[in-house]
Amino acid sequence: MTESKERLPAQRTWMVVLQKVGTPIASVALAIIVGSLIMWVSGYDPMAAYAALFQGAFGSPKAIGETILRATPLILTGLAVGYGFRAGLFNIGAEGQLFMGGLMAAWLGVEMAGQPWGVTVPAIIVASALAGAAWAFIPAILKARVGAHEVITTMMFSYIARYLVSWLVAGPFKAPGPTPASPMLGLSAQLPRIQDLFSESTLAALPFLGLGRAHTGIVLALLAAVGVWFILKYTTLGYENRAVGFNLGASETAGISVQRTIVKALCISGALAGLAGAVEVVGLHHRIFDQFSAGLGFTGIAVALLAKNNPFGIIPAALLFGALSAGSGTMQLVAGVPQKIILIIQALVIFFVGAEQIVLWFVTRRQKEAISGAE
Amino acid sequence: MAVLELRDVTKVFPGVVANDKVSMTLGRGEIVALLGENGAGKSTLMNVVYGLLSAERGEILVDGEQVKIRSPRQAIDLGIGMVHQHFMLVEPLTVTENIVLGREPGRLGVIDMASARKRVAEISERYGLKVDPDARIRDLEVGLQQRVEILKALYQGVRILILDEPTAVLTPQEVRELFRVIRSLVAEGLSVVFITHKLEEVMAVADRIIVMRDGAVVGETRPSETDEVGLARMMVGRDVVLRVEKGAVSRGQTVLQVRDLVVKDDRGLDAVAGVSFEVCGGEIVAIAGVGGNGQTELVEAIVGLRRPASGTISLKGKDITDASARSSIEVGVSHVPEDRHRRGLILQFNLAENLVLGDHRVAPYAKLGIMRLREVTAMARKRIEDYDIRTPSEKIVASNLSGGNQQKVVIAREIGRNPELLVAAQPTRGLDIGAIEFVHRQVLAERAAGKAVLLISLELEEVLSLADRILVIYEGRIVRELTAGEADAETLGYYMTGGGGKKLDAETVPAPPSESEVGQ
Amino acid sequence: MLSDVITPDLFAAAVRIATPIALAAIGGTICERSGVVNIALEGIMLTGAFFGTAVVLATGSPWLGVLMAVVAGVVVSAIHAAGSINLRMDQIVSGTAINLLALGVTGFLMELWYGHPGTTEPIPLLPPVFNFPTPAGGALAEVWRWVDTVFLSYTPIVYMAIIIAIVAQWAVYRTRWGLRLRALGEHPRAVDTAGVSVYRGRWVAVLMSGALAGLAGANLSIEQVGVFQENFTNGRGFIALAANIFGRWTPIGSYLASLLFGFADALQIKLQPFRDVVNIPPQFFMMLPYVLTVIVLAGVMGRAVGPAAVGEPYEKG
Repeated sequence: MTESKERLPAQRTWMVVLQKVGTPIASVALAIIVGSLIMWVSGYDPMAAYAALFQGAFGSPKAIGETILRATPLILTGLAVGYGFRAGLFNIGAEGQLFMGGLMAAWLGVEMAGQPWGVTVPAIIVASALAGAAWAFIPAILKARVGAHEVITTMMFSYIARYLVSWLVAGPFKAPGPTPASPMLGLSAQLPRIQDLFSESTLAALPFLGLGRAHTGIVLALLAAVGVWFILKYTTLGYENRAVGFNLGASETAGISVQRTIVKALCISGALAGLAGAVEVVGLHHRIFDQFSAGLGFTGIAVALLAKNNPFGIIPAALLFGALSAGSGTMQLVAGVPQKIILIIQALVIFFVGAEQIVLWFVTRRQKEAISGAE
Repeated sequence: MAVLELRDVTKVFPGVVANDKVSMTLGRGEIVALLGENGAGKSTLMNVVYGLLSAERGEILVDGEQVKIRSPRQAIDLGIGMVHQHFMLVEPLTVTENIVLGREPGRLGVIDMASARKRVAEISERYGLKVDPDARIRDLEVGLQQRVEILKALYQGVRILILDEPTAVLTPQEVRELFRVIRSLVAEGLSVVFITHKLEEVMAVADRIIVMRDGAVVGETRPSETDEVGLARMMVGRDVVLRVEKGAVSRGQTVLQVRDLVVKDDRGLDAVAGVSFEVCGGEIVAIAGVGGNGQTELVEAIVGLRRPASGTISLKGKDITDASARSSIEVGVSHVPEDRHRRGLILQFNLAENLVLGDHRVAPYAKLGIMRLREVTAMARKRIEDYDIRTPSEKIVASNLSGGNQQKVVIAREIGRNPELLVAAQPTRGLDIGAIEFVHRQVLAERAAGKAVLLISLELEEVLSLADRILVIYEGRIVRELTAGEADAETLGYYMTGGGGKKLDAETVPAPPSESEVGQ
Repeated sequence: MLSDVITPDLFAAAVRIATPIALAAIGGTICERSGVVNIALEGIMLTGAFFGTAVVLATGSPWLGVLMAVVAGVVVSAIHAAGSINLRMDQIVSGTAINLLALGVTGFLMELWYGHPGTTEPIPLLPPVFNFPTPAGGALAEVWRWVDTVFLSYTPIVYMAIIIAIVAQWAVYRTRWGLRLRALGEHPRAVDTAGVSVYRGRWVAVLMSGALAGLAGANLSIEQVGVFQENFTNGRGFIALAANIFGRWTPIGSYLASLLFGFADALQIKLQPFRDVVNIPPQFFMMLPYVLTVIVLAGVMGRAVGPAAVGEPYEKG
């Protein structure tokens, strides 16, 4: 039996590529099909709806800009949730960390009014990341020390953050005026729009640069993706993160401090979510108000799952959901389909991706079982 | 007419034929031993009979009639019962609850506990399998848990009983007790299939022996017609050296010193209750004992996975009592864990990543937190070659390797680190003969290189063939120390049960073995 | 001030607020005891509330609404069951998908059926079960006021929750179903080899939790609030999970733990009029249940051990 056991499953390249990319694409396709069914059953025209969606997401440079705009924080929340998943942790409360990051950004932006851009914006970025990390710290410690499930704790902290922001923008941090919102951030505390980086004549000559509301935060998001990739592949931090995510017992036996790894992972996840909040405040809203970016945390979960927690895969996944979000307004306007259908499609994607992975895993497991011989 | 017959049963998993046209019979009142090494297909075959797996081809006949067994429920209804190697017992529930699970007496859905307890007591009495019906499984020791498993099958009214590697966790005395039980069951009309890879047991209890290898039946014989050497040859297909050659090595300095060590288990009880011993360079000290007597906690304390309550552990004079797992590795303690899937390897990592596990923070594999993948790859390739790990590349994911090769990876990593002390816990569990030979050779090589080796094993054969000194552990204490020359299976078994077998029934406890009894 | 706070209303409010959490928590208990984690309780509650409200709006009958809520809960939980049990998905991913789906479907249908997001039209509530007259005066009247308010003033589903807690507790420990349920969550393979279907046992448990969470949603909209509002479950499903853990995975324990949360919330509401005295913003009071949940988990987790096989998909063979 010793010889026959050495037979390994074929690892041809096309099969590997298919495995990595095929299932997410199939999941999205399936979700879109089921979405169309729902639309059709509800009396809407799916073709018209999707055409409008496409128009709203990709139909013009401004639309593409809107897609990029919406995708920017999703890259960051996707990275946040994905990084947590790599360590075996489900940071469902990324929303809360996002709020805290945004809060820090708004507050610091107001405090530092008058300082040059080169000082303010980097400071905001660092501080927001720290704020997000800090908000994840208690759930992290509770998970590491006591085993409290991070799904419940981060979810609770999410609600707490929401009420905190709600109180602040109606009270101590409120700008004068009728709306409960913080004061507007000045130019020195803003991330400029991409199209504002170019002169009028350039924009006239190259209209595809007229990207509407898309802002330079996208650069930050892309850098973060590279950063996460680097951490996971080349650092001991990333190695231990993955080890703990796969096998706690073996990691422990090898001398890895599981507790510390969990805390680090959740805090880094929180930091990335905090950055998402900062980017929203500093690049888009320029202030903070109640529910200023609801849903980005949850969409981040869909992004991470779709991308299978791969930092580079998260970029196209985020663009997909950004497109869905950007196009949903046009879809409602033109085809009458309620925007909430997007949530349904997101949920379906999560569900199908989750199911696909298991089917795949099951197939490879049976192969492995056969090779090592049934017990 | 045979009470159970298999004709050309074939079971295939993707890539491997686990059972290849297997045919066998079981007569009424017969004890048939299904012999083969790990991976030969014996358990798979019986899982098919018990309805846990379905065969691609072949027929099963019970009492001459062909049947289709698609689930354990159907098997039980046909009178087939199985006691698995890893017990199917629910720990927090009581003995009675476990036994009646699935066939609970009662009306309208409410369980009649009194009636259940009565039936359990009846069966227990009838077959001589005494156990406390209200005890919780997690409080029972392994031998008693096995009794509950057998009672479960009897409660379900089986006529054919399949036992899968039942003696893996028993002492020689408990094994003899088990054989007595089997014989009394057979006297009551049951028929028994006994799966094992242990030659001496087969010779002791079987009426007929069916040998399997690589998924097929390679021979059928009776104890009167063969001997252990002959059986081994059938099992493996070539002449087998039953014991690895061990040369004489001079003992060096004391490497590991354990003094008055007390270690508590997860429930706060003393798992290790005051243990002292030493291991010197160039020697293999084995800790022999029935599972659950503190070996696991002792190992965990030594390698830094559990903090002792009191006492000291020192490595070459340096105190490592409270050292973490990481410090222990840094200081020179290597650990081959008893569960390679849960603790030894990360199955989703590739071989290179597994081979650097534990050393991934230090030079030359990492610098300032950045990993130096070139160095890791070079090391991995070298280890793969030095330890003859069968794989096309270091980038293969560990889950794709066979059990034997996986263990080679663990050993390559732990020994490759050039430790002062090697702690090997059940290093050959679940491995086939070739892999077992490899592991034994590696362990002996460490010894020859002047390293200290602490071996923890349930396999008495392994202990006797490898160890220079043997410490018997019982209820958290070292109750006896023997040199290799002084020890044999009977004596070890005697001390492993406390040198008097307090846990067994009085009538089955032997006196310390005399010369005439050895080799029964 | 104390006498303004410690009134019979406080305790009655506690029980009322606790009810939806308790129902969901007991559902969570049964589900987790079988080995399946159900974080979709939140979404199921929301869906149950929505469809219950919709039916009441369409038919005018609160009881039909309750029935529909339970049915909706069962249907949604069937998705979770299929995903977690048959497809062997990560149960938390499956649960998250359902929570999101619930948000999406309820929001979508709101617009589709009622033409606007946010809140539905008000619906007739289920009236309280008992309606005893209040005696005129005297010392006995005060005692009666307490007894009546704290024990006899509730709507049907509140009483159902108490009965369900007691019945479930008895069933889990004394019936065939209960024994098999407990075994399923600890060692499913043992159950399988004993000839009992693992899949069926788990399906039943998940569907039960769906029914209970749906009932919780009905309580929320048809007995308490009188409307459906988007996302108005507001985390109760997650608090229910914590209540189950605090209650050590027993139905009675889940109920009592939910009472604790209910009491905290009722207290917070009672204290709000006094916030000028203490000068705390209302949002801080509203945070209280969530903070309490975290504290409970922090204190309890180390010593609370759930079913051994919970969260792990079961594979035959």
